[in-house]
Amino acid sequence: MQQQHQNNTNRFAIIKWTIIAIILVLVVFIYKNYNPSNSNYFPKCPVLQTTGYKCAGCGSQRAVHALLNLDIKQAMYYNLMLVLFIPYLVLGAFFDLKKIKTPKQQKWQGIFYGTKAIWIVFIIVITFWVFRNTSFWIWN
Amino acid sequence: MENQVDFTQTTENGFKETMPKTWLVESILVTLFCCLPLGIVGIINASNVTSKYEAGDVAGSQKASEEAKKWVKYGFFAGLAVAVLYIIFIVIIGGGAIAAAASEQY
Repeated sequence: MQQQHQNNTNRFAIIKWTIIAIILVLVVFIYKNYNPSNSNYFPKCPVLQTTGYKCAGCGSQRAVHALLNLDIKQAMYYNLMLVLFIPYLVLGAFFDLKKIKTPKQQKWQGIFYGTKAIWIVFIIVITFWVFRNTSFWIWN
Repeated sequence: MENQVDFTQTTENGFKETMPKTWLVESILVTLFCCLPLGIVGIINASNVTSKYEAGDVAGSQKASEEAKKWVKYGFFAGLAVAVLYIIFIVIIGGGAIAAAASEQY
């Protein structure tokens, strides 16, 4: 029974990750080859569409397109926060996935992903959201 | 709760327990790619997990972690729903959209 259950769980996991991998490859292909600014096929941000103000996530699809084509400057222009957060997100995902951490890694996780760090992230998101809609923002 | 044995083992001082998942990375991704309000809720939830853990309240931080997971899930499915609705919308008015795209790129 246990074995059977284990096999089913494994099979489910394999199917799940295969589907995720296929979708990921498709998404990368689409975002690399098609520019969201020249196409009507990409979802547009409802906030930007209705209010004319950019949210903190606006431009992220165009930024991904630029990044996949290795144009970091253009990506920063579309969504600065996304580009700057990439190393932070990669390191965070690494700590999340690593179940057993060395004391040193635990210490760094405590510093970079502790309460204080999360509040700094929060402040960055809100500040970016506000300032990208003002004339102080030079990347407009 | 049986399947969470590893998670709920509490030692005398909570600090020996590894920190529950904060879902911070996922929350930032939700903020960037989907729904700003849900992402911000996620970030605040993540800080609940860490602050409780740092105060030694491991059980509380595990509860906060479950809560954080719930909101990230909402964000994920909201994003998925928007994308699917958008695709349906595009398919329905497909002809019109193709014409519009073609006329934009002359």
